[in-house]
Amino acid sequence: MRSAVSSLIVLSALLALPAQASEPADENWGEDDWAEDSWAEEEPESRWHGFIEAGTGQRIHNDPAVGRAETLEDLRIRIETSGFHGDNSYVLKGDLLLDGVEEQAGIDLREASYSMTLSDSWDLKLGQQVLTWGTGDLLFLNDLFPKDWQSYFSGRDTEYLKAPSVATRASYFGDGANLDLVWIPDFTPDRYINGERFSYFSPVAGRNVAAPQGRIDAKQPDNRIANSEWAARLYGAVSGTEWAVYGYRGFQPQPNGVNKSGEPVFTRLDVIGGSVRGALGQGLANAEIAWHLAEDSDGDDPLLPNDQFRFLLGYERELLPKLTLGLQYYLEQTLDYAALERSSASPYNPHEYRYLYTTRLNYRMWQDNLTWSLFVYHSPSDDDQFIRPSVSYRFDDNLSATLGANLFSGKRPNTFFGQFEEGSNLYGRLRYAF
Amino acid sequence: MLNRYLKSALPVLTSLMLSVSVQAADMTDAESIVKQANLASYYRGADGRSEARMIIEDSQGRKQQRQFTILRRDHEEGGDQQFLVVFSRPADVRNTVFLVEKHAQGDDDRWLYLPGLDLVKRISAGDKRTSFVGSHYFYEDVSGRNLSEDEHRLISTDEQFYLLENVPKDPGSVEFSRYRAWIDKATLLPMKIEYYNSNDKLYRRVEVLKTDTVQGFPTVTRSRVSDLISGGRTTMEFRFIAYDLGMDSGVFSERSLRKPPRQWLKRPQ
Repeated sequence: MRSAVSSLIVLSALLALPAQASEPADENWGEDDWAEDSWAEEEPESRWHGFIEAGTGQRIHNDPAVGRAETLEDLRIRIETSGFHGDNSYVLKGDLLLDGVEEQAGIDLREASYSMTLSDSWDLKLGQQVLTWGTGDLLFLNDLFPKDWQSYFSGRDTEYLKAPSVATRASYFGDGANLDLVWIPDFTPDRYINGERFSYFSPVAGRNVAAPQGRIDAKQPDNRIANSEWAARLYGAVSGTEWAVYGYRGFQPQPNGVNKSGEPVFTRLDVIGGSVRGALGQGLANAEIAWHLAEDSDGDDPLLPNDQFRFLLGYERELLPKLTLGLQYYLEQTLDYAALERSSASPYNPHEYRYLYTTRLNYRMWQDNLTWSLFVYHSPSDDDQFIRPSVSYRFDDNLSATLGANLFSGKRPNTFFGQFEEGSNLYGRLRYAF
Repeated sequence: MLNRYLKSALPVLTSLMLSVSVQAADMTDAESIVKQANLASYYRGADGRSEARMIIEDSQGRKQQRQFTILRRDHEEGGDQQFLVVFSRPADVRNTVFLVEKHAQGDDDRWLYLPGLDLVKRISAGDKRTSFVGSHYFYEDVSGRNLSEDEHRLISTDEQFYLLENVPKDPGSVEFSRYRAWIDKATLLPMKIEYYNSNDKLYRRVEVLKTDTVQGFPTVTRSRVSDLISGGRTTMEFRFIAYDLGMDSGVFSERSLRKPPRQWLKRPQ
């Protein structure tokens, strides 16, 4: 906690200067005195921006496996620039992160990309970049691009749920349909729960384990061309309804297989799927399906994940002015379930049908400066839930604060959300953007 | 050379002739006036681009800024339109892009691109009378209100203005009970609109502070919305306006959300 407090002090000291420095600029935005320079700022080819953010988070229960109360102790400095090189563009975006929980300092390069227009119908984007597609709201069926569950569970900005990868993205834009082709030469896994910040349930131990003994450090597949990741999306729209077909070849994004030596490994994964999204009544409806074709296609190896069928239905609408409601139903069916049951008598086998509902409520007030948000995952099949309330306030165009919680609970120790019950936390973040 | 001179002078002449003819014979039909005013406000040229900035002031005088470039293209005059809005200020919305397929009948289709997540988020059709990016402008002030939603009545005509009284057909769908619009007889631009609440108290004013003629089209370059109850207000200014650039429909697509179209976003020479 001490380091979080000291980082807040450092932050407020840093804030004092830019806040004062920005005063005269504000004067220029007075009633009849629009500053000419403000228009000029629109045009330069390149400019530097970023933010400084301090975040702190505390467990609300004691976790004997981890032993420390802090779940978030960040001091983060973001520096970014973007610009044009002819009609091509570049983006450079990196975070200098002092992480008090993992007791390390490092650079998280969020983006270093170059985008080219090759012809009227082809774009190419090269380099470190975040990639996202699919229709789910905080649920992923066909989006196998890397995610950062440690950030998501500890209360960092939602932006950090997506982790970057070094990729080549080629996009074709046609009359009836568009195509995205993504090649990630070196397999990039999720930043998964590895026992460092949060403990996780070990079916071998029959209880939660954490670092150092329980640390998962899975070896990645060799960096060979045959082990690179490929993803494709063919998409279009017919009278306001968007459709998409997806394909993926790569690996399970988390090391959820076990090799003969008992070590966690990333196993092969191919995915095909599709989605539709369109207006329905006064809201938006979406549906998405995906088949996850895993390495254990017969389902009889208890150490490797089985094939899965995934299904999502969602609906979102504005309930009242400024109040948005989103509902989703999500199903994960383990295929070849009989074979799994025959080969494994573990009490921790997944359910054949794991399903859950999500509810989102967002409410904006005070000229959109105050935002209340609640996102709840509730799984009747696993009897567990993950509740994410938060409130954000913009003091002005530069300074904002967020308070929130990540509340896990469940009836059983081994379920997806239930295992993180003792990782439940409260967090706060203060950000100065420039 | 002569040819070029004529080309640039022609729209000016035409609009002069139009304003003369308008002034010569006052219109008397409220429906035609609001129709012309709608075209004058939202449909000039087949397409257009402008940079915009806003100062949002709350009742305590605290200020916020928004700055963006807006591209527009009409499917048909007075009908469906496309908008692309690329934000450059403040820091937390920089490079966020907003795409709208505006439908004259029915709900608009809207998308938001969040660059940090590489997420193209489709937004459900919302109340059009809520704040546009935290300002005192409503979505409807920026993109236009469907004319068929109100009953329009011409109250008076003086030297300068047509004064219209407008009453919503479905009072439950809006926060006002009626509004008055002062429409400039020469340009047909609404220069002032005043909204009354259910207690018939004046509570909101939209006013034009400055207009310029751009490529022959009278164009609002500065306007203000005042919340007369809270005392808050937003002033908006437009610059670097150009019409009839020849944008095609493809400019308003997912491609532009991820890679904003430099060709149309850069300032006209």
